[in-house]
Amino acid sequence: MARFSLSVRLALAPVLVSGALLVGGCSNEDCCDMPEVTLKQDLVTNFADRVVVPTYRDLAHELTALDTAVLLLRTEPTAARLTAAREAWFAARVPWEQSEGFLFGPVDSFGYDPALDSWPVNRTDLDAVLSSSDPLTAEYVRNLQETQKGFHTVEYLLFGEGGTKKVEDFTPRQFEYLTAITTELQTVGNALLAAWTETTDGRPPYRDTLATAGQSGNTAYPSVQAAAQEMVGGIINILDEVANGKIADPYDAKDPDLVESQFAYNSLSDFTNNIRSVENVYLGRATDMTAQGQTLRDVVGVNTDLDARIRGEISQAITALGNIPEPFRDAIRDPASKDEIEAAQEAIRKLQDTFEKNVLPFVTQ
Amino acid sequence: MRRPLMMGAVLLLATACGEDTPGAPAAPPRAGGATTIDDRTSLAFAQPAPNLSLEAQERHRVGDAAFAAVFVPAPAPVNPGLGPVYNNTSCNGCHLRNGRGMPVMGSGPQRTQLLVRVSMTGGSPEHPNGAVPVPGFGLQVQDQANYGVKPEAAVALEWVETQGQYADGSPYSLRSPRVRITPKDGSVPPAGMLTSLRLPPPVFGLGLLEAVELSTLQALADPDDRDGDGVSGRLNEVWDVAARALAPGRFGWKANSPHLAQQSAEAYVNDMGVTNPLFPEVDGTHELSRDTLEAAVFYAQSLGVPARTALDGAEVRRGEGLFRARGCEHCHREVLETGPYPVAELAHQRIHPYTDLLLHDLGPGLADGRPDGAATGAEWRTPALWGLGLTQTVLPYAAYLHDGRARTLEEAILWHGGEAEAAKEGFRQSSTEDRAALVAFLRSL
Repeated sequence: MARFSLSVRLALAPVLVSGALLVGGCSNEDCCDMPEVTLKQDLVTNFADRVVVPTYRDLAHELTALDTAVLLLRTEPTAARLTAAREAWFAARVPWEQSEGFLFGPVDSFGYDPALDSWPVNRTDLDAVLSSSDPLTAEYVRNLQETQKGFHTVEYLLFGEGGTKKVEDFTPRQFEYLTAITTELQTVGNALLAAWTETTDGRPPYRDTLATAGQSGNTAYPSVQAAAQEMVGGIINILDEVANGKIADPYDAKDPDLVESQFAYNSLSDFTNNIRSVENVYLGRATDMTAQGQTLRDVVGVNTDLDARIRGEISQAITALGNIPEPFRDAIRDPASKDEIEAAQEAIRKLQDTFEKNVLPFVTQ
Repeated sequence: MRRPLMMGAVLLLATACGEDTPGAPAAPPRAGGATTIDDRTSLAFAQPAPNLSLEAQERHRVGDAAFAAVFVPAPAPVNPGLGPVYNNTSCNGCHLRNGRGMPVMGSGPQRTQLLVRVSMTGGSPEHPNGAVPVPGFGLQVQDQANYGVKPEAAVALEWVETQGQYADGSPYSLRSPRVRITPKDGSVPPAGMLTSLRLPPPVFGLGLLEAVELSTLQALADPDDRDGDGVSGRLNEVWDVAARALAPGRFGWKANSPHLAQQSAEAYVNDMGVTNPLFPEVDGTHELSRDTLEAAVFYAQSLGVPARTALDGAEVRRGEGLFRARGCEHCHREVLETGPYPVAELAHQRIHPYTDLLLHDLGPGLADGRPDGAATGAEWRTPALWGLGLTQTVLPYAAYLHDGRARTLEEAILWHGGEAEAAKEGFRQSSTEDRAALVAFLRSL
């Protein structure tokens, strides 16, 4: 969700800076008692091929399934098909949230993140379009604002306020609109995958930009270290965002309007999948994949104390999130949930701290 | 609780490894003085200055949220005020990760980052030195609109390639844009309409540039080229909306904004259609609060500046020598000092921005033919080069120059003309190795 992810992503700041300074400001000998580790090219090729691309492939697949499910709902509006469409929405959220540990490259530069996940929902124009008889052509939908057609607009239309919507509450126009924007989401998902895997508009697949880090002519990553720093930066970024944005913003303000995935009550699942994203990057494999070649875990040292600590802290963060009662939008205002919410924030911050202080130095030039 | 501790660590390290450590090797130039950050990732332009006070860190964070806020049409509980016509829906929408934009126009995921400024050749401006608005457009074409409202126009962009070659025979190709503006009301753009494409510039380090004293810039200016080096340079003179008077221009591709507050307020009202204290509705009300405007301004002021990299590299050092020898530094001034400034962390810093903030005639190749303030249609303000090497790390496929015509740094250099003709020609005639060294230096920034 762009409002949170952008703001918090950009706010991660002193933390990442300090980590970088730790090594950037002085030499390794001065700063850090660390084993010498050689970063290999396959650290980044493995990351691209075994984590990023499979996650986006999964996302493209699930967005296609969502489009199909919504089309079936429109064709035959039954409670069962509404449930199936909602399940498809939940399923598509999984790879998307698991991709938020690497929100750089085409997802940002081509606007796919806001196209998929903008917030808030533009209810004014959404209602206006729903009230109109404008033909919802592909071009028309392409021109709609992102806040009228992303995950959260689909969520709002499928679930309604408080998740109370029933199949008989839908109008034919809402079905028409829903299918139009899930088709657009499917297009975006395919485009995001293609940006990583295929030559598009004369541009090389972004996978190659990462894979050729450090090679002559690479204007994005002059060294493997730079690309590896991007990987760790992405991890730190999403951890900061979950603890200090996605949880803190609505919790501190006690404002359910600021809660991610508030119509579907999917917030804690979203957050948990963000931590899974961190785990995937660290272990060098997405779900159903195996790592090939060097991973961040190899860089840290498999089965070292630090590795055990990182895996333990990932597990503890996920457990802590699981202890917060759903719906999160109610929990933020329930004094009985205070300890669980703050414990989850602390667990995530601890993991973030470990990546900043103990992992980033391994990959910083 | 977390941030103060981290800040402490930064300060300690800065002391331990800084320029004053006796016996240490000569410290590298710190691009942004005490605001310099060591980060070469895609987030390098999005870090707050590491020397911010606790209070300033919090203000920065609030500003960050303002900068990221996606506007929607009113009425709405969160971020109302978009439109009725606009170019984009948030600051971040154009300034992706605070870097240079991509030269794309249109809708959908790749929403417009370029925008088109327009004006008429004749007629009466709204204030002294102002451009003359175009009926139906004003001074900028808004190609997006809220529901029920027509965008002002559709803007189509085409590129025209021209071939050239280096003195050693190596070929190159340069492209320049052709813009076609089709008003949505079916009318035809008036004859005599001037157009100028503008690409989002990077937004970090702007507070430091604002903190450079006017007297410093005046001392650098040489409008009549009295020193005879072929390079002049002068300050723009533009309308200060708050002061209701002409003032030196400093920000924007043509230095057409006197300070960051006005620059930001203009972006809110022109790019997003969000009225604000400097540009209110007719009745004086505004959609954006003064606090939010100030927060967004503070965000841009208080971002850190990425440190240079690869300073030990022989090629980089040689390229730096060539940069100086070719006279590039006449405009791209390496060192400036900041003076007193309301943000204490930015005051009295020795910085390395590679700009003089002055207008220079860059020749007919780059000219847009559209005067702006006191700037002629051939004059551009020297852009800062700090962070240049991170441009395509921050935003892959980002481009260079005011309209994004340059796909590479080599192309950007080759477009220089006018006062920079000799420097450009020196580059064009140099060996492959020297060209590579100069670019390696630019990438180290």
